[in-house]
Amino acid sequence: MNAIGKVVATELKPSTPHQFHFWTATDTVIGIGAIVKVTGSGTGEEGRVVYGVVTEGFAYSDLQTPLHDVIGAEGDPTRAEDAPTVRQQIRYWTAAVLRQTPEEPLQPVPLGQVFVAADADVAQALRMDTFLYSATPTAIPIGLYTSAGLEAPVYLDADFLLGPEAAHLNISGVSGLATKTSAVEFLLASLFAHFPAHKGRVAAVCFNVKGPDLCFLDQPGDLSAEDRHRYERLNVPAEPFKRVQLYAPLKADGVNLNTLRTHPDLVGDVEPLTWGLQEVVDYAEVLLNRDDIDAKADAFIDFLRDRVLNKSFDDGFGTTHRVQTFADLDRLFRAIFDGLEIVSGGRSDTWRTHHIATMRKVRNRLLNISTRCKGLVTDDGPSSDLPWKEFADRTVYVIDIANVDPLGQDLVFARVVSKLREQLERRELGVDAVVVFVDELNKYAPGDGPETYVKKMLLDISERGRYLGLVLFGAEQFRSQVHRRVVGNAGTQVFGRMDMDELATPGYQVLTPATKSKLATLPIGELMIRHPHFTQPIFVRFPKPPVLRGRDGVERFPPTADVPFEDAVVRQLVRLDRRVRPNQVKDLIADREPDDVRRALAAARRTRPDDVLAYFRKVLGARVEPEASMLREHHAVPPLNPISDEPY
Amino acid sequence: MTWWRALVDAGALAGGSGLGVWDRGETATYDTSIVEDSELQTHAIPPSPQPLIPSPVSFLNGIQRWSVVAYDGVVQIVNAYVAAAVRRRDSDGALRTTFERSRAFAIAPLDRMSPAVRQALEQSASDVEAVDGALVEQPARYLEMIEATVRRARARLERELAEAAIADLGLEEWLVIDGLLSRSPGVAQHPRALGVIKSHGAQFLEGRGLERALTLPAGHRTSVFAVRGGHTRTEVYSWYLRLWPWEGNDLLYGLLRIEARAHVETVSRAAELSGWLWAERAPLATPATRWDRLLYPLHHVEEYLKTRAPRDLRPGPSRLSRLPRLAS
Repeated sequence: MNAIGKVVATELKPSTPHQFHFWTATDTVIGIGAIVKVTGSGTGEEGRVVYGVVTEGFAYSDLQTPLHDVIGAEGDPTRAEDAPTVRQQIRYWTAAVLRQTPEEPLQPVPLGQVFVAADADVAQALRMDTFLYSATPTAIPIGLYTSAGLEAPVYLDADFLLGPEAAHLNISGVSGLATKTSAVEFLLASLFAHFPAHKGRVAAVCFNVKGPDLCFLDQPGDLSAEDRHRYERLNVPAEPFKRVQLYAPLKADGVNLNTLRTHPDLVGDVEPLTWGLQEVVDYAEVLLNRDDIDAKADAFIDFLRDRVLNKSFDDGFGTTHRVQTFADLDRLFRAIFDGLEIVSGGRSDTWRTHHIATMRKVRNRLLNISTRCKGLVTDDGPSSDLPWKEFADRTVYVIDIANVDPLGQDLVFARVVSKLREQLERRELGVDAVVVFVDELNKYAPGDGPETYVKKMLLDISERGRYLGLVLFGAEQFRSQVHRRVVGNAGTQVFGRMDMDELATPGYQVLTPATKSKLATLPIGELMIRHPHFTQPIFVRFPKPPVLRGRDGVERFPPTADVPFEDAVVRQLVRLDRRVRPNQVKDLIADREPDDVRRALAAARRTRPDDVLAYFRKVLGARVEPEASMLREHHAVPPLNPISDEPY
Repeated sequence: MTWWRALVDAGALAGGSGLGVWDRGETATYDTSIVEDSELQTHAIPPSPQPLIPSPVSFLNGIQRWSVVAYDGVVQIVNAYVAAAVRRRDSDGALRTTFERSRAFAIAPLDRMSPAVRQALEQSASDVEAVDGALVEQPARYLEMIEATVRRARARLERELAEAAIADLGLEEWLVIDGLLSRSPGVAQHPRALGVIKSHGAQFLEGRGLERALTLPAGHRTSVFAVRGGHTRTEVYSWYLRLWPWEGNDLLYGLLRIEARAHVETVSRAAELSGWLWAERAPLATPATRWDRLLYPLHHVEEYLKTRAPRDLRPGPSRLSRLPRLAS
């Protein structure tokens, strides 16, 4: 291999153990981000090899001052190109040292010849040899290093991506280029293909927080020949995820799914996500905004949890309650308030040491969620939830909360992640590691703003998740505005195209101006990676993800309009059992109370009996007289205060 | 108002260099005869949007370095280095080396040295140029003699290289030499060789002709004249060419003397060749102090040679600081 440059050092710009400078011909293949190799040849330097990544480039001529060019062209720019001789010019590069061999003694880079790094050199330079060629390899392909006509796979170390050594990945980039989501989709595909067997089973939970981004992970996307070549080079199957489970809450009608994946061909794969009082009250703190947080409210919520829920409870005014649903809870509150008003004659404003104002606040917040997130939270009836304790290996669980009220989104985050953590701690989730993908960290874990439950939870994952196998893949537009501990704890940092204003913030001071410029103009499909094994950021290209992009998905599978109640029930039952005849179902639910139908439907979903229709008929029960249904009538309790815009 | 302002107001041209006409180099006087006009005239270089610039063109230049490296009593022993190179410019405008020679040698008055030091010199230095020891007791004159010796060695090297380059010259290729063309008959008679002389110590003209030459406006040339004389010189044709306006500077500012073969074709092509050299004003040969007379390609060859010269030899004793030597 021929040398492409020569290391030079001056007193003002010397070689150090961490940085060196070299020149190349003007028509060199080297560019910012290129990996080069320097070989020592002087006395005492034989055998020394230094790998570096180009971080800055300069070109200049022997022109002493621009004025001399003006004089030479006699002030006429059109004559500036007429000079018969081209001025002597230089391509002068600065490179940051990636690795030196031998590593000790650590010395300034020798003034040797510079070569383009080959495949094996890239592995050496990025210290990938330690986990790529070990007895138990832990290499996860992240993309291809492409420079100087070279295409070398770059790997992340699973021990540093999913723990226990380091963990978490954070990706930043401007919106609208599909880089962040695409990169995570590709990385998950790569992770599922290469996650080492000795590290156990892995799954991913992805929160779809905007549009149809993650709704079509099981559908193949269009890949170019170049993309397929890259998949081949990275040894990752160019196919969509084989095991995807998509969850979406229901709409307010309780039967239509609140997702953009409602095309008839696909909607059958979407599982409803609905929670009842029991699921919500455990995370009641999420529903309290900053002003609500006080010891009194906490105490009252604890009282409800410990003494009231799912227990036979005497309200002290002569009525015994068994609170299992929001409707039951509302009846309890009404009984207490009525009791204080009527029985006590309005003389007392405390009940069981709890002030009526505190109780009204908690009632307002709890019942408020059933109003704002109707469809996710059911007033009564059982829940439909993720397959806790039965998570499957290499499965993506997508939770579509894009159209859910922000308060509901917080609740979903808090509950799902808390459950993941709880079950991972007990080693009963079904997998050994879970990647949680959260987009829009600017919104959920901002650097400033109030301390919300969601932010605290994300901080907790960032700081302690790696010991449990709970790994956060976070994405945001402005890394500088995400909580420092969330991004700081991410062992692997990924950068797509960045905004110049963002790059001007202090967090990017370690990057050279050339690297920043490259980041600001990065094409789609190219990323800058920082990983614990890489001593310097590395640019890689990754293929388009092997799945249907959200925007393409809604074009190929346009969402259907909400179907009438009866049809929605039929669709869900047919999905459970293809033998179910629509007319039979419609006859069965005609003139029945929708809440009864929803409850029976939920029971059938949860139980999944062999004969779905028979079970549904049994749970639905005999037809009852219209007046009896009045007992179940529920009026949503209006909130005490107007619904706040405060998302947390 | 200063008194010289009054002179300018009366018709004199303002000077600017502070030194006036002052130049180093040879100071001989030569026989000349006008071959283009009946008397020396000035000719404007015809404006041409696309001057005829030959391609390829080779440029030859040389450097010299020397320093006193040892004293045997008052005998100063000199380490000298001369080098010359030819760099060819192709259609892409870049220069690439085609010929290069150098000579590193010692200069010493062997007959005035002590036996032990002389023996050490003869055993350790592979190339020793012996000089006359008569001036050893006059250090200043001795060093002038050393300077002349080195200059002769450089001229010899340049001449040898020019002859080699001429022998290898392509069919359409030109050779431009920094300095006298007339040192080598083979080179001086070649139809595509030019000498570009920046130093004007030698006297070729007198009277009205001299005045016209020294006050030549920028973008003008003189009539072609024949130069003969000097014991090693071949007759050549020559003319002056002004690259930059001298007004406000000095009489030699931007003034070149061009040498070409003594042939009638030279006269007919003088305007065309001047147009070519006029186009070579850009890029400027800065930061060279004589950039106004130095063509960039020749400057480039010199810079190339400087980078390859031994680091322990400095450009010239007079330019050295006497301060303690530090890295910076």
